[in-house]
Amino acid sequence: MESDGLQNVDMVRIPAVPVFNWSVGNFMERFFDGLKGGKFMGVKCPDCGRVYLPPRMICERCFAKNDEWVELPPEGTVESFTLAQVKVGEDGELADLEAPVLIGMVKHEGADTCLVARIEGPDPEEASVGMRVTAVLDKSAESILDILSHYVPR
Amino acid sequence: MEKQVAIVGYAQTGYESDVDASREILVLEAAVGALRSAGISREVIDTVVTANNDYMDGRTISNMRLVEPSGAWLKDESKVEMDGAYAVLYAMMRILSGDHDVAMVIGVSQASVFPTYVPGVMTLDPTFDRERGLLNEVSAAALQARAYMDACGVTEEQIAGISVKNLRNAALNPLALRRMPVLTVDDVMSSRMLYSPIRELNAFPPSDGACSVILASSKKAAEITDCPVWIRGVGFSHDSYLTERPLDKLGSLKQAAERAYAAAGISDAKDKIDVAEVHENFAHEELMAYEALGFCGEGKGSALLESGATKINGELPVNPSGGALAANVACAAGLARIAEAALQVRGEAGSHQVKGVKTALAHGQTGLCAQENIVFILGGE
Repeated sequence: MESDGLQNVDMVRIPAVPVFNWSVGNFMERFFDGLKGGKFMGVKCPDCGRVYLPPRMICERCFAKNDEWVELPPEGTVESFTLAQVKVGEDGELADLEAPVLIGMVKHEGADTCLVARIEGPDPEEASVGMRVTAVLDKSAESILDILSHYVPR
Repeated sequence: MEKQVAIVGYAQTGYESDVDASREILVLEAAVGALRSAGISREVIDTVVTANNDYMDGRTISNMRLVEPSGAWLKDESKVEMDGAYAVLYAMMRILSGDHDVAMVIGVSQASVFPTYVPGVMTLDPTFDRERGLLNEVSAAALQARAYMDACGVTEEQIAGISVKNLRNAALNPLALRRMPVLTVDDVMSSRMLYSPIRELNAFPPSDGACSVILASSKKAAEITDCPVWIRGVGFSHDSYLTERPLDKLGSLKQAAERAYAAAGISDAKDKIDVAEVHENFAHEELMAYEALGFCGEGKGSALLESGATKINGELPVNPSGGALAANVACAAGLARIAEAALQVRGEAGSHQVKGVKTALAHGQTGLCAQENIVFILGGE
């Protein structure tokens, strides 16, 4: 389709920026309360015993409501990792990072699911699946979401 | 499945990175092309199912303005807010209900008009992952790739082999966006690193375009065409959120394939399938799909690739069209795999035609790290 380009309206920008306010719910509230106190709180399925961290209200495998809280250690294992050279920028496209960031998917000891956070410390070349790490908390973080600051090798 | 529902027409627009057209014109082009391919007029269509996404279209209930270009005016019309491959399942069920005889499915989106990677971010857990800014569809796929590489001893060069195969195939497909006839593993390995091990040429190209497929009941298919492409089997499975399942294999794809094979009466997929169109958003996912689809044993995906079996002239060609690495329209990429598989069964694929296709497999996926998978088995008379 050939044209000389639109002369009058190049691209209609939709004026509304949607802002969604999600309630974190009782389970994530308790998870964040735990983090403030330096604890990792997960939940256990009453049927299969699967431990969810971060906590999930429902065990989809058993179609059951999780109700037993368990405290998990800050130590875990890297299930997978990636060295990020980019991030999703303000415009929704991939923008180069000034310095690469190592991102890990970490399964805490006693948990069956993973948390995703930065890993600091190791030379990215030395990062590996199965690497043992410990969580570093920053209780002075401005946002409650950032209390889990990153993981370091142990 | 007995011969109950057939594909009787299809069309794809050319795929572009920034098309000079509105999505309505893309839909019109795909709809008119599919009607022409089937040799029928708009009046023959009973029900229209579109696959599109409000967020990507920047419009609530975005299918409402697709009524005009899809020919759905005053017809039964509805929408699937996932890939069009799922809309085919829905349209098939509408025909099997007995209420409709002919259905048109259309998938469309324009990556050039929405912030490309935001829809993926919006699928993340909103109470934690979304806010932390680390995960998106590319970084999630990188975690999946690393887990698979570690579990199966696969190298980045082997993964690059998928990009080379598919993007060279794409050079034979006039509709593809990335057509790279002389691409080498070195070229892929020197393309821009995004999230290790995923580089630009291991990742889908955000694309604009539309695809349409027309389905008909057995009675109506016989009136419309001498060469219907029958849906012999379909399987669909939905797995857990990405941090709550093993990422080193595609469990729900394996299950979807097993269901589709059972419906089609296929016990040896590698022997029975003549060509496969796989929805690989990232190169490593095609290797993982070989294993999940039973084309080879677990962990043997890279060996199957290196055997040459999945090349366009191999014994089980995969993605002769170039696959989703060559053009990936959100909401239409899986649907395009179905259109391409039907094209192969009919022998209408031109330069990328595989010889002697009787049975074809088409795969679609939705969600981070291929959370939901659907598999169709198509066959001719």
